[in-house]
Amino acid sequence: MNPKRKAVAVAAAGTALGVAGLGVIAMPAGADAAPELPPVSAEALVESVFSAESPALSGTIELDNGLGLPAIPGAPALDMDSARVHNDGEGRSRLAMQDGGTERTIVHDGATVWNYDSASNTATKTTLPAEAATGHGMTGDGQVTDPTSAAKDVLQAVRQSSTVTVDGTARVADRAAYELVLTPKPTERTLLREVRVAVDSETRLPLRLAVLTHGTTEPALQVGFSDVEFGPQPAGLFRFTPPPGATVEERQADQGREHAPKTEAEPQFDAVGEGWDTVLVGEVPAELLTQQAPGSDDVNVRGLLGQIGKPVTGSFGSGHVISTNVGNALVTDDGRVAFGAVPEQVLIQTLGDR
Amino acid sequence: MTQATMTARERAPRAPLTRLLRAELRWIFRRPRTLVVLGMLALLPVVVGIALTLVDSPGPPGGGPNGAGGGESLLVSAGGNALVLPVAALGMALALLLPLAAAMAGADAVAGETAHGTLRGWLLTPVSRGRLLLVKAFGVAAVAVAAVVAMALTGIVTGLVINGGGTLFTLSGTTLSFPAAVGKVALAAGWVALQLWAVGAVALAISTWTEHPMLVVVSVLAGTILFSVLGALDALDWLHPFLLNDSWQAIGDVLRDPVPTGELTEGALRALCYIAIALSIAYARLTTKDG
Repeated sequence: MNPKRKAVAVAAAGTALGVAGLGVIAMPAGADAAPELPPVSAEALVESVFSAESPALSGTIELDNGLGLPAIPGAPALDMDSARVHNDGEGRSRLAMQDGGTERTIVHDGATVWNYDSASNTATKTTLPAEAATGHGMTGDGQVTDPTSAAKDVLQAVRQSSTVTVDGTARVADRAAYELVLTPKPTERTLLREVRVAVDSETRLPLRLAVLTHGTTEPALQVGFSDVEFGPQPAGLFRFTPPPGATVEERQADQGREHAPKTEAEPQFDAVGEGWDTVLVGEVPAELLTQQAPGSDDVNVRGLLGQIGKPVTGSFGSGHVISTNVGNALVTDDGRVAFGAVPEQVLIQTLGDR
Repeated sequence: MTQATMTARERAPRAPLTRLLRAELRWIFRRPRTLVVLGMLALLPVVVGIALTLVDSPGPPGGGPNGAGGGESLLVSAGGNALVLPVAALGMALALLLPLAAAMAGADAVAGETAHGTLRGWLLTPVSRGRLLLVKAFGVAAVAVAAVVAMALTGIVTGLVINGGGTLFTLSGTTLSFPAAVGKVALAAGWVALQLWAVGAVALAISTWTEHPMLVVVSVLAGTILFSVLGALDALDWLHPFLLNDSWQAIGDVLRDPVPTGELTEGALRALCYIAIALSIAYARLTTKDG
């Protein structure tokens, strides 16, 4: 064979190999067919979820946020790319939420919770009361450290007012899982169509939680593992020593709420209604409305409401409605607030009735 | 090419590869422009470090824009942390400056020599075209490594001088020993070097098709900017896994503890695919090129 033609053949093969490699990288993961699993009743599945021990695991949680939240600069909590979770199965956990080039690490070592923010180099140490030390899933800040407790809370809350079914199987993070579907009963006045929880067939750990609204196929909110591995975790992951130069704040879990920043200093809310159309009604302290909005210099919270909300009036007075894909919030001008996964008429009616 | 060297080559028809490689390195690193570019890149971490000290603020809240490479958003943490500075500087330069340096080396390697007429000597000598490509690719890779190592070293030194030795900690708040910190920076540097080899390989491939070195640099520059723009468009997310710089922001992952390897591995594999494609094309072109 002519050496030149041979060279061209080699080059073509090399190019094809490279392109094929790129194709493999680009292939979306989890495109496999739904796995075959023995059938299980909804009751048995729910019960096994509640009784399942929290297993030792490491994994990555991704959040797909299609909530349609109004853009508030510097808004925390949902502002993350992905989070890595480590859990030793005995109440110790580590959560690392990454957001661009910064990271927030929450280490729960059983008795204390360290919350470290790399952007400001501050570490907050929260000492938990003794009885809370054994509780798992939630840190002192009330932040959810794994989807286990998130799904459990949802299940518990909606069982009376919803139809609970097992709707086939799914493959989540390369694990075979049952799809548990919670559909609101027809009498519920809600924006939500259904909540799907993918439950791992072996460990019965909820792997994915998806909230779907009427008229859409894409979930409005989806939290789930993109990869997960079960097995013992190195103990060193659950210890935290603040780095040199870091600002260390200490607080007790009980006092935490008083000193907590604005977003956590939530006033008491009363639940009105039951099930899916529950509306939470409360009052916002007046100083909160005049406080400076997060991430801006000249706009206070009241001004921000005017920017992102829609003005409404009713028998309650006047206020602003902030709409998202999964729910609405109504903040009146005199500082009352009502929110829920319901159409705004329900909010207006609820406030008017009080 | 003088008569003397021609006869020398004829007497020894198979020049040892190491001699060819050494000659290529000497040829590259004697060029003033190579040294100037390397020197400027080495200065970058120093400048960034000093600037961060002078500003002395933790940076804008909410982080920088997401599309422009991982370096900028890492800078938020670089003040007061000796470990972050070299990695942040590498991430920043990876967005444009380092690819430019790799493109320059790739442009000089073949197109530059064609323009000067010095490539003709190579094509006439009994050096196989495969070996010629190997020597040229080695030269480009060496420039990339030199640039990355220079930046990493000045970055570490600057970080240590400004912040002191006790400030080596990860984004997860884990304090590291000096060797562990150097290991992390070496991991970042190695990963960046691999990405630059991919850019250099593409530059080399373009370089074999033209005799204008400027065209090579411009193509790579335009390609880098175009890829960044395409990468920022959400509507094209099916295309993103094919873009070389799709995972360049993941450079910051080496600073997390434990290191999330997913995106770094994906980026490394992508770079290898680009290298395979680009060197194949360069090989085909060089072999079919007439002496």
